[in-house]
Amino acid sequence: MSKRTERKDMDYIKKEYIKTRTMPASWYLSSYKYKFNITHMQPFLDKLKERKLVGLQCSSCNQVFFPPRLVCGQCMVKPDRWVDIRETGQVATFTVSYLKDPETGEVLERPMVLVRPDDADTVLLSQLSPKIDFKDTYIGMPLKIHWKDEITEGLGNIEYYDPIDDDSEDLELRKD
Amino acid sequence: MGRQVAIVSAGFSEHASKRSDVSMPELVSEAVEDCLKNVPSVGFDDIDAFVNGNMPAFEGSNIPELWMTDWMGARNKPLLRVTTGGTTGGTVAIAGYYNVTAGLPGIDTVLAIAFEQQSQGDTAVGLASVALGEISILNTLGLPYDQISRLLSGGAAIGVASYQATNYMRKSKITEEDLARVVVQNRRNAAKTWWAHLKMPDLTIEQVLDTPYISYPLRYGMVCPASDGACAMLFTTEEKAKDMCDIPVYVNGVASVSNTPAILGYDGSGAGQLDPSEQLGAKKSSDIAFGQAGISFPRKEIDYAEVYSPFPNQELMWVEQLGLFEETTAPEMYETGVTALNGELPVCCSGGVNSTNAIGASALERPAEAALQIMGKASNQVPKTVHTSIGHGWGGSLNLVTLMVMSDEPQRKWR
Repeated sequence: MSKRTERKDMDYIKKEYIKTRTMPASWYLSSYKYKFNITHMQPFLDKLKERKLVGLQCSSCNQVFFPPRLVCGQCMVKPDRWVDIRETGQVATFTVSYLKDPETGEVLERPMVLVRPDDADTVLLSQLSPKIDFKDTYIGMPLKIHWKDEITEGLGNIEYYDPIDDDSEDLELRKD
Repeated sequence: MGRQVAIVSAGFSEHASKRSDVSMPELVSEAVEDCLKNVPSVGFDDIDAFVNGNMPAFEGSNIPELWMTDWMGARNKPLLRVTTGGTTGGTVAIAGYYNVTAGLPGIDTVLAIAFEQQSQGDTAVGLASVALGEISILNTLGLPYDQISRLLSGGAAIGVASYQATNYMRKSKITEEDLARVVVQNRRNAAKTWWAHLKMPDLTIEQVLDTPYISYPLRYGMVCPASDGACAMLFTTEEKAKDMCDIPVYVNGVASVSNTPAILGYDGSGAGQLDPSEQLGAKKSSDIAFGQAGISFPRKEIDYAEVYSPFPNQELMWVEQLGLFEETTAPEMYETGVTALNGELPVCCSGGVNSTNAIGASALERPAEAALQIMGKASNQVPKTVHTSIGHGWGGSLNLVTLMVMSDEPQRKWR
């Protein structure tokens, strides 16, 4: 398996070391057990099962975290106020992923979006309705949650986001 | 008050996608030799301490500094290692600066080395492990695995950069052509730099736009390569520097600032930074470093900038966020040639990270190249005299920024 390679001719290196040998090896990086705190998450996950959205508000800077955060990094204060969050939101930013379908092998163009819910001050990774053409996606696009039919665990209840009518005045400008 | 620090030399190894002709220690020694070649009076005995760094997960050899000590010339000398992801090189440079400025007895001359031989390992594995802890939380919260895997393969560094790119393009109303123009300038500059990786002297905007998308709006022709390479930089005190070389470069300000991560929030929470192209860390670091260096008008006082830009939109972002240009005017500057080699404020004349990206070494190559431009020893030397230059690094979860301000005159305002 080993392969010999000749060094390129370069005047500034010692000439004595002219050959390398390649040895294949593998670095098995074990499996990890990451720890994280979910105490503050429980009301949020419970509400998701009832198809309701809640966020945690910092009592110092009034920032709303969705999903909730244990400590507000700005104020070093424990957010403790639960607030309701509307189902509507906006595309904060997006990209298009070009991934091959594992079964058919054709390239799927799917927009990946970060959605900012209307009442929250954070963004969350999500996906758009498969009916939307990726070319129609733009920043500031108004969205509404499409809930999954059967109730599942946590964020899985949000199947995707549906677009709703955009009534903003500078729509053409936005789409640029 | 710390001592004034000077850079007397910087050296590079040759960069390529596969440096299979050398082993990792040899790659490092190439850069060290090239660095010491510029200062004939300095031998290994004159170097008092060493700082080095790379990203071990990218090449599959953990703690490499322990077995390549001899190749750096660091036997029986103080050796320090720092690793901070994409900014490893920038942090290595800052650690070298701290070593000298601290004024420890017997430590005057410090060699900073950063290296990466990516062809040895699987960079994707290393990159995935950077955010794996955060991403796995989203999975346990119930986010379907296919969405997460799409984020990863849409993916890793390019995934987050494409979010930045969409936001930046929306903000400054530019097209992909403007992005391609940055790439063309970089790759053409790289053709004149002996150590650069992707040398394309005849690249045109059409050729870049002809390549397929990797992740909208970034195309294959726009993204950085994965290189093997190393870089070394020699720091010393003001007094010793005058004996070592003709034009010492003085380090007048350093900063390393972290801010809220974008895209992925802490502990599975939402990310607090709504606009990933708005890099508050860069603004803060330029405030700190320019304040130390006594620079009030960066646009007028800085003659040369090396920014860390694996993707073209980042180069446009950084020059704005670091205060070199007004917001959203950077694309115009690239179009009118202000940032070209013979322009008013040349940017990345070595080709930048866009043309050469040995991840651990990249952020050290920025201040190294910026210092060589002041010395007049860079291989793609700008025609005008460079008095003040900056070297910038970016990494972490979209949030860590390092900055080093260098000048041909020592800063005496507050020292």
